[in-house]
Amino acid sequence: MVNKVTSFFKFKAKRLSLIFCLIALSLLIPGCTGPGYQGWSGFAGHDGILYFGTMDGRVIAINTSARSQGLPFPSEGEWALSVKAPAAAGGMCGPVGCVPAAQPATVYATPVVAGNLVYVATYAGDNGKVMAINRLAPGYDKDGIPAWNEGEWFYPRKENKFIGAVVGSPIVVEDILYVGSSDGKLYALDAKGNEKWAPFETGDKIWTSPAVKDNAVYVSNYGRKLCVVSIADGSLLWEIELPVAIASSPVISGDSVYFGTFDRLLYAVAIVDGSERWKFEGGNWFWATPIVKDGVVYAGCLDHQVYAFDASTGEKLWQFVADAPIASAPVLSDNLLVAASESGVIYVLEPDSGDLVRTVSIGYSVMAPLYAEGNMVYVHARNRCVYAIDVQNGDKVWEFCYSDIK
Amino acid sequence: MAELWNTIILEPVLNSLIALCTMLGGSFGLAIIVLTVVVRLALFPLTVRQTQSTKAMQTLQPKIQELQKKYAKNQQKLQQEMMKLYKEAGINPLGCLWPMLIQLPIWIALYQSIMQALAATPENLLNLSQHLYSWAVVGQAVPLNDQFLWLHLSRPDPNLILAILVGGTMWVQQKMVTPPATDSRQQSMTSMTTMMMPLMFGFFTLSFPSGLALYWVVSNIIGIIIQYFVSGGWGYLRAPSAPKAGPTPEQKPVPVQKISPSQQPSKMVQKATEESKTLKKASEEKKRGLFGR
Repeated sequence: MVNKVTSFFKFKAKRLSLIFCLIALSLLIPGCTGPGYQGWSGFAGHDGILYFGTMDGRVIAINTSARSQGLPFPSEGEWALSVKAPAAAGGMCGPVGCVPAAQPATVYATPVVAGNLVYVATYAGDNGKVMAINRLAPGYDKDGIPAWNEGEWFYPRKENKFIGAVVGSPIVVEDILYVGSSDGKLYALDAKGNEKWAPFETGDKIWTSPAVKDNAVYVSNYGRKLCVVSIADGSLLWEIELPVAIASSPVISGDSVYFGTFDRLLYAVAIVDGSERWKFEGGNWFWATPIVKDGVVYAGCLDHQVYAFDASTGEKLWQFVADAPIASAPVLSDNLLVAASESGVIYVLEPDSGDLVRTVSIGYSVMAPLYAEGNMVYVHARNRCVYAIDVQNGDKVWEFCYSDIK
Repeated sequence: MAELWNTIILEPVLNSLIALCTMLGGSFGLAIIVLTVVVRLALFPLTVRQTQSTKAMQTLQPKIQELQKKYAKNQQKLQQEMMKLYKEAGINPLGCLWPMLIQLPIWIALYQSIMQALAATPENLLNLSQHLYSWAVVGQAVPLNDQFLWLHLSRPDPNLILAILVGGTMWVQQKMVTPPATDSRQQSMTSMTTMMMPLMFGFFTLSFPSGLALYWVVSNIIGIIIQYFVSGGWGYLRAPSAPKAGPTPEQKPVPVQKISPSQQPSKMVQKATEESKTLKKASEEKKRGLFGR
């Protein structure tokens, strides 16, 4: 026995240490790469066409009517456009692969449509760009260079200039586009891509969408601030500093602003001065942007629950327990509340009581905000597919998977 | 299995790291340094045991090599003799392996915690939410500020400074514990192994977040300090190039002498004395207390 142990040590020690190294590496690799998320961007709808971004840097337009008829892609009004990654000079290579100086472009932000333009903001490592694409005639020339049509633009205009990476979706109000970026700045651009005023510096990374009400833009940053900026000249009207950073994008309804924070609270603050109206502590972050309708705030939480609160008092009206965290913003469709869990289950609820009407399982994680038109709810799932669900009967009317689209 | 790992090991380390960040004024770089020091100090007794076992094993190397030559054709006898040698020196041949095995999960958890806490992308940040405790100090720190000195801790260091530091400290640490090889073939293999790991990690540094590289540098420096005090000095780092017959750095090679038959008994006595010295030395290495030289 003793001999065997000695022999084992002598002859197997090197091999054993190699095995340990491999085990260690197998544990280390998931730690550094993390799960490969897809399907982050929500939809912008216009004239029966849905526009959305993908994590492989594309903007895709799909015709809901053509999809329901099962027509081949691209049909009328449909296209897929790759957002070019910034020039990748000076990349570095290591044994685990190469790291380009510039990361490939991805699209986290939900596009926004105004007139004939669809606005897209990109995320490429530290860098980002805002692009206005002609939704009726996007494309490339024969050399693969984006064929910039009349009215199309990108910001900043110089190809080697960037703003910070964009995560939060831009919004358009009265032909002005507002977008926050990782460089901590809030940008206001007109329909031709010109700055309406000098970018407003908030002092820390912005990963949320701004909100606009009464000539003011409300924007939160990861420096724990909610800043309110004048639409007219970009000057600071007021700001509040919270004990922790704001996790969700702010939503304005009536005279209050609603948002979730990283200390698991959902806040309602006054629109005029940021004074606290009420707050509610959940079991995890209120990551998804809440929605407000008819004096009720509906908020999905990463503690697996959907909550409904009285918008003015903060009184909890009901809560519904889902099977997994709710990271995707819920939506109201055809007088029903629809929420999606990270496990890929779509819950259709009664907005008054929180009673479950039905569930639809798509089987893949959902992080993108849901989008509703009529009685249809559109879901962008992690498996690079878009699902159209009829909330009245729970049918999956159609699905469109874009991983094979060139 | 993954759930169990997360609950028992990863989450305590991750939340401690983030809480520490709040307590250190929001500096995640300082939190990495402090937690690495704390973890290394907590594992100190194990590290010392491992270092002492390794050193004791190395002390026996000349004797083992002698046995290997002597019983090259009789493996069973060789093993018996080696076991006898270990027994006489009071060494468990697996003694240097167990402390390493116990430390490994902690190091991996620290590594994973740094990667998770940095949450460079929105999906990483979302994923982090599932591992955080409801402590106020944790919520206050998230999302973490990744600025430290000239570094963005969630991104690779664009300069070569960290890569050089990682590679350099790792080389020093390895050099301190790697005994010189006995023959030229073994020597070239040893020197290649000693160079390969630091080079590999130096390259890793170019593509991994600098927060992780910071952990490697701090961990290596602490390893060097422990090695210095436990093994007594710079070990094989200051040793001259490989000796021909493979004695330890402290031993001087004995010139080969032609011995007449009449001299045989005295040679045997000398050999026996040397053997006894080696065993005593190995035994002392094992018994030697902390900082003993």
